[in-house]
Amino acid sequence: MPLRYLTQGLIIALAVAAVVLGGCTRKQVKLPGPGVPGPGLNAPRTSGPLLEQELQTVQANLKPVNFDYDRFTLTPEAQAALQYNAEILKRAPQVAVLIEGHCDERGTDEYNLALGERRARAVADYLTSLGVPNRLSTVSYGSELPLDPGHNEAAWAQNRRAQLRVSQ
Amino acid sequence: MSFAAHSGPSDWTGLPQTAPGFRPSTHKSASSVEKDYFQPRRDHCGHRATRGAWWSRRSKRPFTLLLSCVLLALCVSVPESALGKLIIDLRNPNRGKMPIAIPDFVSGSSGGISGNALADVLRNDLYLSGLFHVVQAPSDNSTPIDRPDFDRWAQAGVHAVVLAHFETRGDQLVLEARLYDVPMRRLEMGKRLTGRVVDHRLMIHRFGERVMEAITGVQGCFSCKIAFAGQTESREIFAMDYDGKNLGQLTRARTIVLSPDWSPDGRSIIFTGYGNGRPDLWSLDVATGRLQVVSSRPGLNASGRYSPRGDAIAVSLTFNGIPKIFLITPHGDIIKRLTDGRGNDISPTWSPDGASIAYVSDQAGSPQIYAIGVQGGEATRLTLDTNYNTDPDWSPQGDTLAFTARMNGRFQICTIRTDGTDFRVLTTQGSNQEPAWSPDGRMIAFSSTRRGRREIFVMDASGEIQVPVSGIAGKAPAWSPRN
Repeated sequence: MPLRYLTQGLIIALAVAAVVLGGCTRKQVKLPGPGVPGPGLNAPRTSGPLLEQELQTVQANLKPVNFDYDRFTLTPEAQAALQYNAEILKRAPQVAVLIEGHCDERGTDEYNLALGERRARAVADYLTSLGVPNRLSTVSYGSELPLDPGHNEAAWAQNRRAQLRVSQ
Repeated sequence: MSFAAHSGPSDWTGLPQTAPGFRPSTHKSASSVEKDYFQPRRDHCGHRATRGAWWSRRSKRPFTLLLSCVLLALCVSVPESALGKLIIDLRNPNRGKMPIAIPDFVSGSSGGISGNALADVLRNDLYLSGLFHVVQAPSDNSTPIDRPDFDRWAQAGVHAVVLAHFETRGDQLVLEARLYDVPMRRLEMGKRLTGRVVDHRLMIHRFGERVMEAITGVQGCFSCKIAFAGQTESREIFAMDYDGKNLGQLTRARTIVLSPDWSPDGRSIIFTGYGNGRPDLWSLDVATGRLQVVSSRPGLNASGRYSPRGDAIAVSLTFNGIPKIFLITPHGDIIKRLTDGRGNDISPTWSPDGASIAYVSDQAGSPQIYAIGVQGGEATRLTLDTNYNTDPDWSPQGDTLAFTARMNGRFQICTIRTDGTDFRVLTTQGSNQEPAWSPDGRMIAFSSTRRGRREIFVMDASGEIQVPVSGIAGKAPAWSPRN
């Protein structure tokens, strides 16, 4: 059928473009700042490397996941954000996802490392339960990399988070 | 006074060289040489005189009673040794501070290093121990250090005085220092130290350690260094003398580094570093700067602590699930898993005998400190006060844990006896974390935000004296063994 040949041709063209435009350098994308709106998802492909721009699109559309103080359980808001993120990741199953666990400064450093690890794992487990096909890995940064360096409730709330970082 | 004029140690002291306990020794370090030229007689025949709360004669131990009989003849022949020695009884909670004078060291050569600067090193050491009241003493170049003016020191009300003389010869420093017992009017301890001029602080720190040993029975640890995780733009492992001098950067990792811990032999420092993008356990060879990965299992490889003998590392790992305490070899092979249950377990600390480990677990809902035998068994909870207790560090004496407790939204350094009694709060200003006992148990290093940025402080074991030492921002202090 002509439509089928057309589709195949498109896929080949996209694959070639991907290799030429950035598929050969598999570097991790720089993250846009929090809350920066992405350009919106174009029709993602389910195999082969993504274009650099596509990867950035995926990254920019992932929502941050926040936690209650000294907790690693997922709140209803966190679950909703992860359900949204899962829909994006399912459409880009070839990307690997690194889940960073972070804490606010109101914990001691080593205990925060453990807490950050649990937060990252809680996110990984939930994404897996949602059927996300991507390769998932976790890393805890404890309270070493605050998003907001402030010492107030708003900063702390933002810093208690799990951040998803996608790479090829 | 010239060193060349003396033919031997006995000339300096005027006391017989045959005194029991005389033991010339040469320090093993290459950087300086330390010699005993006089070792005081023990209190084998000591009277049990008391001179006030802090100033008591050490009570005789059973085995010394036996020795007393054997050595009686010797004591009789040297009557000035028949009295008890200068002592601070660390077991006496009501002891006061011992007044001590440390006049400027007397220079035997012109120019160069100042006698006041040298004396200041020792004054600061003894001050920070929290056991001494360092009395201001005018310098006196006219009195030879082997003939102290006891009347003057007795009048000044001091119970001990340190007199020292030094000479520089090229890049060499020869230092002769003596500790005198003022009420008994006798020499307590003397050392002749030689080394490089640039190592003068180390030489004096070592003498200070001997002063502590002579007076408290426990050698001081002023020659120790403190490693810490820098919080400047370059987050690297730094090390400095315990008093903050001779700061140096040890790593060029250009990444986050956490939780340094010094090996008991002083040769390596383990720490958690993100050099490979993950929290792995690394080992730094202090002499060569060479870095090696010890454990890079998936997830956390965090809060590594050497066993007292250096043959194992307790560490929190998550490759198997949630954070649990494991024992691994210094090369990273797993010896055993020590904890289980549903809590996050982190921050192990060894008891000084290596038989037990205290650690943090949130198995009861909030982080608390537990202890478990290295051979296994049930974990016992040690902290009950406040709902957030972390960073345990077991005291070298084995009877006390220092830790961080959250109080009114801030962190404070606290101590508790290992049986769970005698809870004390040692800090009140700012937020204070990560206590680390000095090897002699007299001091605690910690990080504090009381001056704004987080930096390393040192305090005496009671918390009375607390001083910033790191000069740069940093956290997670770890003591080296004595140098």
